[in-house]
Amino acid sequence: MQTSPPIQVTGLHQRYGGFEAVAGISFDVREGELYALLGTNGAGKTTTLETLEGHRPAHAGTVRVLGRDPHRDRRDVRPRIGIMLQEGGFFGDLTVAETVAHWRGFTPRPRDPDEVIGPAGLADRADVRVRQLSGGQKRRLDLALALLGRPEVLFLDEPTTGMDPEARRATWTIVRDVVDAGTTVLLTTHYLEEAERLADRLAIMHRGRIELAGTVREVVAGHGDRISFRLPERFQVAELPALGGVRAGIEVDGGRAVATYTVTGQGLQAGLYDLLRWADGRRVALDGLHARSASLEDVFLSTAEGADQ
Amino acid sequence: MTLARPAGIRPPGLAPLARVARLDLTLLWRNRSALFTVAGLPLLFAAMLVPMKGKPIEGVDGALLQGTGHLAFFVVFAVFMNLVNGLTARREDLTLKRLRGTALSDSEILGGGVLTAAVMYAVQAGALLVLLGAALGGRFPADPLLLLAGLGGGVAVFALLAFAVSGLTPNSDMAALTVLPIMFACMGGAGVMFPLDALPAAAQEALRLLPLSPVVEIVRTAYFGQDFVAYGPHLGVGLLGGWEACARSFAVLAAWIVVGRLLAARWFRWEPRRA
Repeated sequence: MQTSPPIQVTGLHQRYGGFEAVAGISFDVREGELYALLGTNGAGKTTTLETLEGHRPAHAGTVRVLGRDPHRDRRDVRPRIGIMLQEGGFFGDLTVAETVAHWRGFTPRPRDPDEVIGPAGLADRADVRVRQLSGGQKRRLDLALALLGRPEVLFLDEPTTGMDPEARRATWTIVRDVVDAGTTVLLTTHYLEEAERLADRLAIMHRGRIELAGTVREVVAGHGDRISFRLPERFQVAELPALGGVRAGIEVDGGRAVATYTVTGQGLQAGLYDLLRWADGRRVALDGLHARSASLEDVFLSTAEGADQ
Repeated sequence: MTLARPAGIRPPGLAPLARVARLDLTLLWRNRSALFTVAGLPLLFAAMLVPMKGKPIEGVDGALLQGTGHLAFFVVFAVFMNLVNGLTARREDLTLKRLRGTALSDSEILGGGVLTAAVMYAVQAGALLVLLGAALGGRFPADPLLLLAGLGGGVAVFALLAFAVSGLTPNSDMAALTVLPIMFACMGGAGVMFPLDALPAAAQEALRLLPLSPVVEIVRTAYFGQDFVAYGPHLGVGLLGGWEACARSFAVLAAWIVVGRLLAARWFRWEPRRA
């Protein structure tokens, strides 16, 4: 009977020499959930993941995977988890089929080779030596090996890096299927779309800390809606109206100045109304007029900037 | 109820060990330069024995004296250099880390590698014994069990030293350098390449503490049935006399096993250092 969450992180710190890679983070991943750690390079995502995989003990704080200490009890934990490393670690002289065959020997109750090679899109590459695979194909072989032991918890470190868009979508489908089948997944990524598509919940990490966490909707909430248009030639920014008390900001996009308002709460409809009335009164055409809610990207960028200041 | 204990203390499973060894052998077969280290070099050294035939040294045939030295010395190629190269390369290309992400225990991953190396060594030693007996006028070892114990002790010591040295080796290119001190010390100091009789007694005594020296003493005593541990003429030993004569050599081996274990625990690393 599983009552506690399969992944629990409490007050985790990790240091390399004087550098604090993870500076006290806490989160849980619930059974059957996909949780994404989002962040720039050096945010501490991989260090967090590798601690949970049992590659190193926690410097301070506790981590639990399936109720166990993944480093101290790794012999008990490893057979129940699947790990996809961020890079490397293949024997280049083995073929895809040989790699899977050897790995099946290291895995209790392994799946059939066809069960993992086919879905990974490697059926026609089975007899190719691993060193001849493309970067994306190696990532998919990695995923296939991680799934070989029917893991209860799956760790994916930047699973689609180096893949073309088609392979990325195919990989998302595989991961989604794994989650639907009840596997708990923790993944790191710096692709916002990947987190948006896959994650039930996510955390944005920056410099070893979790800056924001929750569902995509929760994380994005409170970050306002965006109204933007290209600044008309004959106007200065200062001449633009304030919308609900908010003044326009200016960004440059493709050599043209773009005016952007960030309105919070219920201000989008009223703001748009005010803007259109203003434009109508001055007979101005607002090129590229755009109104949308805040995206994960907006939140991600403002989180990184805000934390740096 | 099971008490929490560190991974690796539980004994390795035999089936997983064999599977790791099978992987290692497959990879060795496909890596020609590694294959040369474990197969080609011994062949070269064996060829050097032929001109020694019929020239007595220390009261036995020179080719046989030198050949039994090689029997011990091959452990440096097959186990020590082979493992330092292999472990360093695997640490740097992250295959060790990846293997560690499977259900295999640490002792199974490392033990499989040692098993492969030991098999290679056994094949070399077997071939050399056949060569000594068939072409160089040698005999069947006087005490095969003692011979096996000596070779086994050598495998244990040099595997542990390999774990330690690989931890100090930054990348596989550097492995060609970092193995040299131990290789040369063992080559020159264990009485394999040239007899040590001419050296002062204190120096001889010190060189006998090198890790390969006790292996050479045990192997020669076991092969010839004569005491190759004590100084002076190599007197014949009885059925169990060889073990008694080699007690001191086994003590030196045991001490190296303890030292090797400590150094390996201190220096061995599973992952590359972070930049």
